Amino acid sequence: MTPLEYLVVGLVLAGVFFSFVAVVGIIRLPDLYTRAHATSKSDTLGTVLSLGGIALLFGAEVSAVKTVLLLLFMLITNPTAAHAIARAAHDQGIEPWTASDEEGD
Amino acid sequence: MPDTSSRILVPVGESSTFRNTVAYAVREARRIAAETGEESTVHFVYPVRWQLVDESERSAADAVADALERARVWANDDLDYDDDGDLDAEDVSVSIETAVVGEDRYLFSPNDFAEVLLEYAHDRGLDRIVLDPEYQPGGSAPMLQPLEFELARSGLLVEEAPVDRVVERGRLPSRANVSKALAMFGVSFGFYLLLAGVFDTFNLVTGAVSAGVVTAVFARISFVNTPSATGTVARIARFLLYVPYLLWEIVKANFSVAYIILHPDLPIDPEMQRYRAAIWGDLSVTTLANSITLTPGTLTVDMDRDSLIIHSLTGSARDGLAGGALERAVRFVFYGRSAARIPTPAERGTIASWTDDDQTDGDE
Repeated sequence: MTPLEYLVVGLVLAGVFFSFVAVVGIIRLPDLYTRAHATSKSDTLGTVLSLGGIALLFGAEVSAVKTVLLLLFMLITNPTAAHAIARAAHDQGIEPWTASDEEGD
Repeated sequence: MPDTSSRILVPVGESSTFRNTVAYAVREARRIAAETGEESTVHFVYPVRWQLVDESERSAADAVADALERARVWANDDLDYDDDGDLDAEDVSVSIETAVVGEDRYLFSPNDFAEVLLEYAHDRGLDRIVLDPEYQPGGSAPMLQPLEFELARSGLLVEEAPVDRVVERGRLPSRANVSKALAMFGVSFGFYLLLAGVFDTFNLVTGAVSAGVVTAVFARISFVNTPSATGTVARIARFLLYVPYLLWEIVKANFSVAYIILHPDLPIDPEMQRYRAAIWGDLSVTTLANSITLTPGTLTVDMDRDSLIIHSLTGSARDGLAGGALERAVRFVFYGRSAARIPTPAERGTIASWTDDDQTDGDE
């Protein structure tokens, strides 16, 4: 394997790791708002790292530019979607979970 | 009777019929002053949608000052020159005031505009609002009707000045013009060619046609202000500096969130906060809100008037937000270096924890 391939594999593995963290976060975190944290950030970074690895593999090609555009698009749309979900919950009056709720259980 | 009120507020904006609105407001003020013998007053108020922090915004500040000065000159003209002949200028006392409002906050919805105008009216004891029928505070977004509705809810007398509408849309600066069209065409043509990837005649022609259609349809509504070439280039250059910084922050903070999520005890302490950002303008607020969401530990939940509602996962994420590094960086991108020196949210005291009680307060 060339050094480039090592780098690509490293990026994709890091991407998989953060996507895994996002999934674990969705399962473990207590309410909608905290889960939105996991999906919006860890998931974004996971996707961005994987796409970055793919763009490196393409090299100096139009496909690489398109992949970078895709990556930018993810960076813009992911937080917007998380914001839309959290805002809908907020408008519905869903109370955020706090540390004191846990002691009550 | 409410329509005898002689304490009048007139919102000022770029409009083709504003001259006639001034004349109407002054005429009303004089008529009532002559009937009741009391002093009447007309306030011309300009709600601004941006913060005048940067030298590049200086021309905008000048335009505001010009518009107010023009209103004052016109109003004084109308007072000196008596066109009816049956009012004597010596008997009536009408005072003219001008003011700029909304400099310290982000005005976006009709609600925001109504709020600053009503606040001003309330402070000065004004109880009648005369609106120009072509008044458009939101740039190309239609806003007059909802604004009228919001103003009328306050119980003040609100009316549109009965003036003839002279439609000269082409000449107004907030409408379509060459630099808007060029910017729109350039961006859409460039994007088309980037996706095509091959610069042959076919792609150039179809790209030009597509970009032309997009420009014809969207050039009027995509920009509120006319883009200036130097300002845009400087902004893009500063934005390119911002992207690596943001990426680094994202990576750094992602590790801390990964640590929290994978930690057996799940050490989280979530809290909602209200955060009044020192950021003004649609695009810059959107950038800040998205950057906050992308930086792990903080999530923008809602945009409530001039403040952001932010949900934070841990105490350290809250401290980072109060430190204001992100806000400063976004300000640097959109307003230049001078604006980056504004104090942090913690120093300004514009960040506080948020409960539902605040919401009911705000609705009153």
